[in-house]
Amino acid sequence: MSGAVPQRRGLLLAFVAVAIVVLAAFPHIAATYYVTLVLPAFAYAIALLGFNLLFGTTGLLSFGHALFVAIGAYCAAVLSSRVGVKSLELILLASSVAAVVAALPVALLSVRYVRIFFGILTLAFGMLFHSFLFKFYDLTGGDTGIRVLRPTILGMDFKELDKTAFLIGPFYYACLLLAVVLGVVMWRVVHSPFGLHLAAIRENPIKAEYLGVRVRRFRLLAFLISAFYCAIGGVILAVNTGQADPELAYWTHSGELVFMTVLGGFASFFGPVVGAFTFVFLKSELMGLTQYWRFCLGATLAVIVIVFPRGLMGLAKDASRKAAKR
Amino acid sequence: MSTASTLIETVDVGKAYGSFVALDGVTLSVKGGELVSIVGPNGAGKTTLVNVLTGLLKPTRGVVRFKGDDIAGIGPVKLAKRGMARAFQLVHIFPAMTVAETIGVAIVSQTGRSLDFFSSVRGDAAVRRRVEEVAGIFGLAGKLDSESRLLSQGEKKLLDIASAFALVPEVILLDEPTSGVSSGDKHGIMKTLIDAAERAGVKAIILVEHDMDLVAEYSSRIVALQGGKVLADRAPADFFSDPEIVAAIVGRKVGKVARSLA
Amino acid sequence: MTAFFDVLLGGVFHASVLFLVAAGLQLVFGVQRIVNLACGSFYALGAFFGITAVNWSIARGAPPWTFLPVLVIAGIVLGAIGPAIELLLRTVYKRDEAFQLLLTFALVLMFQDVLRFFWGANPQQLGNLSMSYGKVAIGAVSFPTYNVLVMAASVAIAVGLGLFLSRSRYGRILRATAENREMAEALGADVRWIYASVFTLGTMLGTVGGALVVPTSAASLDMPVELVVEAFAVVVIGGLGSMRGALVGALIVGLTRAAAISFYAELEVLAIYVMVIAVLVARPAGLFGKPVE
Repeated sequence: MSGAVPQRRGLLLAFVAVAIVVLAAFPHIAATYYVTLVLPAFAYAIALLGFNLLFGTTGLLSFGHALFVAIGAYCAAVLSSRVGVKSLELILLASSVAAVVAALPVALLSVRYVRIFFGILTLAFGMLFHSFLFKFYDLTGGDTGIRVLRPTILGMDFKELDKTAFLIGPFYYACLLLAVVLGVVMWRVVHSPFGLHLAAIRENPIKAEYLGVRVRRFRLLAFLISAFYCAIGGVILAVNTGQADPELAYWTHSGELVFMTVLGGFASFFGPVVGAFTFVFLKSELMGLTQYWRFCLGATLAVIVIVFPRGLMGLAKDASRKAAKR
Repeated sequence: MSTASTLIETVDVGKAYGSFVALDGVTLSVKGGELVSIVGPNGAGKTTLVNVLTGLLKPTRGVVRFKGDDIAGIGPVKLAKRGMARAFQLVHIFPAMTVAETIGVAIVSQTGRSLDFFSSVRGDAAVRRRVEEVAGIFGLAGKLDSESRLLSQGEKKLLDIASAFALVPEVILLDEPTSGVSSGDKHGIMKTLIDAAERAGVKAIILVEHDMDLVAEYSSRIVALQGGKVLADRAPADFFSDPEIVAAIVGRKVGKVARSLA
Repeated sequence: MTAFFDVLLGGVFHASVLFLVAAGLQLVFGVQRIVNLACGSFYALGAFFGITAVNWSIARGAPPWTFLPVLVIAGIVLGAIGPAIELLLRTVYKRDEAFQLLLTFALVLMFQDVLRFFWGANPQQLGNLSMSYGKVAIGAVSFPTYNVLVMAASVAIAVGLGLFLSRSRYGRILRATAENREMAEALGADVRWIYASVFTLGTMLGTVGGALVVPTSAASLDMPVELVVEAFAVVVIGGLGSMRGALVGALIVGLTRAAAISFYAELEVLAIYVMVIAVLVARPAGLFGKPVE
């Protein structure tokens, strides 16, 4: 992706710094309800940073990435409530490794295709996992799913805190830290030689090959990294709700991942993060306002696709460009 | 361009698609220091030959070797690693990437840093220097931070070729590099290409061209194909002095330069 | 043996309905290259509206046996939403496929609430109405006549569509536009009208399918998203854009599902998806599709 002009970059990073400070202070300044909303926003922000490496950077649109979010959630559930592993760090590690392992055959099969076939194939894999989760009651808890017990953070179980206090306290800060660290890592990846090659694959895979880029291999790697990030998002979602349920793998959930990414702006690094936060808060507000919130969300997506395909970050960039000209 | 060893060669290469014979017993070799032009009417087998030479097609008969190694069907990525690059007649660019980034892709891949996940490519001074170098050779130094899609058609063509050169290939194969360019600019482009090749350390150039004036002026050797067979493989002076060959390949219209060579 | 026939006929019935929806998908994809995620929404719309239409006609004194034609008419009438939706999709024709797909996803979301608004959140059904045609004996099994009629209708539509596409002038123009839009335009085809009419036809096939299935099951808000899963399996197995593929794919999916349910219920959708993946890997273009890229 073409880099922003240095001043714009500086401005962007300043914004990010302010955002992190605000997020850190949030539990102390905002109502509990809003703080609890930030947790799924963190989860989706992380998941989408990974998803957009595959979509925005490499140009592959998957309609099945909820599969990896679900893997993360179910790993957290199985580990915490059936195997007795409570350490958040171990759960995160195990879940993301599991997702990468699961992603390998999916990716190997899927990256041979592009565009609509890639989308349909990934949708198929996602639904395959969903039906497995839904039907095999003994293993997966069927439509109820599996409980997720409270994990320990750095070995501490915070027994004295009730569920909400734990979530908006230690867990919140753990998630914030995760989001920042994973964000920095993804920033480096996107701006690295590897990231440059991914962008080349997106722009013109034929030319990329002739410049020595191993197109299929790199698509595979981008896929694996995206699965890793999605799983971590899934762990956060599962700990937050206390339940891993099969609907996490349904294709419409994958559709929401794409929705959020495009809402925020798939051509921008922070687009997915903006999209995640906006979507989570928008959905919550809409659900409180009307029972027809799905229609409103659908209409929002339609407007974005038709009028503002570059999403909110696209609007912001246009606005700042106009301001710079004056 | 100095060494005179054989860089790329085909030995009795044939390519048949069922009963259709696209190439029939083509033997040619290109040595260091040469600029070989492949000419011939459409359907003569030029594209097939070029695809065999660049490892895209496996010949049904014969061998194709690059620096002594069999390269039948190895594909563009492995070919680039071995030291051969190719640019197409149809301009290929990365629309949303800048000139610097485009050339950067080639440099990064050529230095084997594709799997570098963490260093900043923008902040890499060595890469930037190489990018500026290559861009300078092709007159694109002023457009380094422009998005490729905003360039003029001629600049896009130059960028396409420049990125191929950035791979530091030993042999570069150019498919009609001057097509779509006005006659006045054609010679300019050829001179830029030859100059670039010298500065980039490219040892041989293979050209597929229709413009016989250019072919006559710049080639060290001309290979003419007809019906899948090699009709002639000679230096320009010999080539244009043979009326039969000229009639078969060029037809009646022969330009000034060609006539002066005859 | 009776169990086998039951499963077979059940599978073929399901396939008949699936074929209608898949045919609609294939038409739209074949000509406009759009994969319509909202196909299930049209299906559900047909189902709900069909119930309303039948209840309305019976309340006005129509004899019960008229429910089949009423359903068909209801489905066809609903096709009227086709042009409006096509106008919306027209805004993204020139864009990347991803956006077209996303716009149809937006439609899915919107339709969920449209259905909810008009018909509420509870599943609805037509009770025993389908039995008013009685049963018919096929081999050793007795099977509801209604189901047989639907299968026959489906076959008739398949044959009709096939003839229409291959023999009629419109059909030829359609195929030409599908092959090469610019050329067809240059030769005088009114592409806009073609796109609008094809999309409407595709929509109608979906709404009629939904209307026809409703006497044997229920109309519910889950239908839209669930059907997409099976419909996509059909078009992938059959090959994107191919009508023959829609027919064969529908049969394969319908029979697989029936067999899976009878042997090991958990396998139901799983079996279909394993098959989708297997087909995509072995023959990426599907059984009758054209190889892409």
